[in-house]
Amino acid sequence: MSTDLSVPVFTNQSEEELGGKWGMVIDQDLCTGCQACVAACSMENNIPFVGETDAAYGRSIQWIRIERFWQGSFPEVKMTPYQPMMCQQCHNAPCEPVCPVFASVHSASEDINLQVYNRCVGTRYCANNCPYQVRVFNWRDYADARVRPELVTLQNQLNPDVTVRRRGVMEKCTFCIQRIRHTEDVAKSEGREIRDGEVVPACAQACPADAIIFGRIDDPNSRVSQAGLASRGYHQLEELNLLPRVTYLKGESNNGSNG
Amino acid sequence: MTDKISRRDFLKLAGVGAATTAVLTGCGPASRYVTREPYVKMPEYTYNGLSTYYATTCRECSAGCGLIVRTFQGRAIKVEGNQNNPVNLGKTCARGQISLHGLYNPDRVQNPGKHVRGENVFSSDKGAGFQELTWLDVTNIVADALTKNQPDEVAFLVGMAPDHLFDLVTDLTQTIGAPAPVRFGALGMFEARTTLMKAAQELFGQSGLPFFDIGNADLVISFGANFLETWLSPVAQTRGYSQLRKGKNGRRGYFVQLEPRMSQTGAKADEWVPLAAGSEAPVALAIGRLLAEARGISLPPAFANADVNAALSAAGVNPESIQHLVDLITASERPVFIPGGAALAQNNGLQTAEAVLALNAFVGNLGQSGGVFLSAIAPLADEYHRPASAKEMADFVGKLKSGRVKTLFIHGVNPVFELPKSLGFADALANVPQVISFATFPDETAVQADYVFPDHHSLESWGYQKVATGASSSVLSGSQPVIVPFFNTKSTVDVLLAAAQQAGGSLAAALPFKDEVEFLQSKLVNLINESDGFFSAPEINTFTAYFQQHGGWWKTTDDRVAPSSADVLNRSLNAAAARLDGDGEFFFVPFVSPILGEAGANKPWLQEVPDPTTTVMWNTWVEINPDTAAKLGVDNGDVVKVTSAYGEVEASVYKYPAIRPDTIAMPFGQGHTAYGQFAQGRGVNPADLFGASMNEAGDLAFAGLRVRVEKTGKTKPLARMESALGVYGFDAK
Repeated sequence: MSTDLSVPVFTNQSEEELGGKWGMVIDQDLCTGCQACVAACSMENNIPFVGETDAAYGRSIQWIRIERFWQGSFPEVKMTPYQPMMCQQCHNAPCEPVCPVFASVHSASEDINLQVYNRCVGTRYCANNCPYQVRVFNWRDYADARVRPELVTLQNQLNPDVTVRRRGVMEKCTFCIQRIRHTEDVAKSEGREIRDGEVVPACAQACPADAIIFGRIDDPNSRVSQAGLASRGYHQLEELNLLPRVTYLKGESNNGSNG
Repeated sequence: MTDKISRRDFLKLAGVGAATTAVLTGCGPASRYVTREPYVKMPEYTYNGLSTYYATTCRECSAGCGLIVRTFQGRAIKVEGNQNNPVNLGKTCARGQISLHGLYNPDRVQNPGKHVRGENVFSSDKGAGFQELTWLDVTNIVADALTKNQPDEVAFLVGMAPDHLFDLVTDLTQTIGAPAPVRFGALGMFEARTTLMKAAQELFGQSGLPFFDIGNADLVISFGANFLETWLSPVAQTRGYSQLRKGKNGRRGYFVQLEPRMSQTGAKADEWVPLAAGSEAPVALAIGRLLAEARGISLPPAFANADVNAALSAAGVNPESIQHLVDLITASERPVFIPGGAALAQNNGLQTAEAVLALNAFVGNLGQSGGVFLSAIAPLADEYHRPASAKEMADFVGKLKSGRVKTLFIHGVNPVFELPKSLGFADALANVPQVISFATFPDETAVQADYVFPDHHSLESWGYQKVATGASSSVLSGSQPVIVPFFNTKSTVDVLLAAAQQAGGSLAAALPFKDEVEFLQSKLVNLINESDGFFSAPEINTFTAYFQQHGGWWKTTDDRVAPSSADVLNRSLNAAAARLDGDGEFFFVPFVSPILGEAGANKPWLQEVPDPTTTVMWNTWVEINPDTAAKLGVDNGDVVKVTSAYGEVEASVYKYPAIRPDTIAMPFGQGHTAYGQFAQGRGVNPADLFGASMNEAGDLAFAGLRVRVEKTGKTKPLARMESALGVYGFDAK
């Protein structure tokens, strides 16, 4: 009696993987640095404020931030184009292999990086390994009204679709996964595909300049795929070959400097 | 209003409207009677796990952006823009997003009460300074104030929003023969709206608030207009900016900003020309002269006084940069010139506004796509009611000081904080026997009040806002409550209506409304027969239901007015630079914090949103050029004392590379002495440095100051998002 010793071939493909691949395009020429996305993200995703002292220590919890740098000195001083920076949802994500408890894992179906809050034990290895510095850590119980009485009324605003995180947990941009899931459910119940532009993350929805475009990048005709083809397109830290899902369109403005 | 529309009827009506999202209006007009129900007895449309959306209007500034608020089991969860509202087309700014932190703010005034002046206490649990009253007492107190005083002994001071309250107070004061309500808002002061409107009136012979069609221009030259931050209608203008950059036929629009300190708006410009504060008028006229020469046409009288060399030396910029601007304008098809608030807040501000508007006339863009218009007049409005200028506020303060005013009603504005101390508003209140504040938040003006009768937060309120500018059509943005009032507050309109009924006589007859909604309907009924609205209805209940569902009513036409260019260039304009106030070595550039605006400091998340240019959070800073800082011997975080002829403040230094070495800048928005735990005792108020000198139009010359800067030896680091190592490398602090 012979035993079949052949190992099943690992194809790195699964049924799930045929699902939506979500991506984002950010036009730095249009971004005015107004911080509406930062505000919208915090309101949508139950992101707590940390107060002046902790903010000064760099502990503010912002899933998206607007970066800008200076070049030169007066009068030939230039500001680089405003650069909204959030989790780039890398395909080869450096945050994932370092997590000892698989809290930072890859979603095959969306091809985005998940953060499983109740697995996280707060080693912060992932933040250490993230080249974009977009992972933020809950150094205290910032969202707990038992610790911070000023939140007793403010917590009425919390979004019931998003987990409130406690101390010792790492977090980051999720591409508003709750909105993706919600739209998927609606489309499924109506027996149709998700339409292009139907899923809008909070940042893109607020952006007054329409600088953020979100959609399926596995659909070559979607608005986000088309926008990403522009000659101004580039990826942050492209040389690291992390295959990020966010494409930036180089800013042409800001006093002639080309970001 | 006994024949209330039934919920079923309303839903039938609502189904007719082509709403793309399910926007409920809370059961039509009847919903004003909705009360907070237990979960087992929720209204039928509230399913567990499903959200309800309400269309309303943002009141964080007076621009009137439409909102859709997501609510969940009676709680407001998220604010989004109303995609149909022509002002913002579905977009919001950071202040609008964080308005929920105002709604659920722990420091709101939670009950009406009698208040001891000077006490920063607004709850009877917290001390003897506040004694709670019932709303029945409130009606009696207000009715007494309206009837026992002579008509000219009553004064109303209201903010720039909401407009329905302004309309009610206007009707009320007309009925009793009292002086018309005075409107004020710090943003109106920082934008120098009076100057802009006066210049338009003088040049075009028409009154109105100018509208700058940024989106359709191909070259924008802005004299310090912070149109991407707080100026006039920032969300609408940011959309315009986006359109400018996307360009027509793929040709990207170009943008030049002239200002002494690079603002957030200036940072988006292709070119920044750091001219000296107060040199805008001569520079604008010099551009006009050079443009006439470049085109080889005779010099119009408007630019006849221009002296190019004098302008360049006053501005302190090199000649090539101005010549380059002229070349850009010559090559452009649709240039537009915008005068910003700081440029007009000089003693020659009216000249500056006229000079910049004259440039528009000279390139022939008046009433043209991509040019200058007069904004559409909102529905229900005969004209745009601008906020009071500093001169008018000074007159008002004089009236309060004289003791003629026995009762002052204040709503929606915080003059003790917003007006410069030199105008003496707080001192004048001492001569007013009765000050009644309708403040939602415990602000500095409420601290000086005898009574505080808190109004609902805007998201709990009915109302409308007549849109002043931003949309090409005539827009009335509508408000409705998105949640049941969270605290024991009452709509100020309802308080005044109840008091009018209590007073009886002609007042009760003139305002025969049972509640706020009935009053609103008495105004909206005028729109029923309008044909060019995007919806119409045969009778008022249906109209009101649509009005709530869509978040307002607006026309489908382009209602902007083309200004007359007939006489613009024939006026001779004065080319002298501004005369500055004070003898310090630095020009002083105060600017409204792009994040906090005039009244955002009490919202904790807004405090933690980094400033777009400096990334500072939670505090006030002084922007100083790094070279100047080195000369003064100060570094980031060192506290300096800034002294003007009128006052002094201390704040930490932020070494800001994009500011002239002879200029310092400070943001307005912090420095509260009350206004809740998140605002109080945080930062300083640069308005303490302002004098009382004004321009010809009566606006405050706040940007025409010279100040001294001294090192104090103290250090207080600023919380900022950028690395503490800074952008200058590892050797800097």
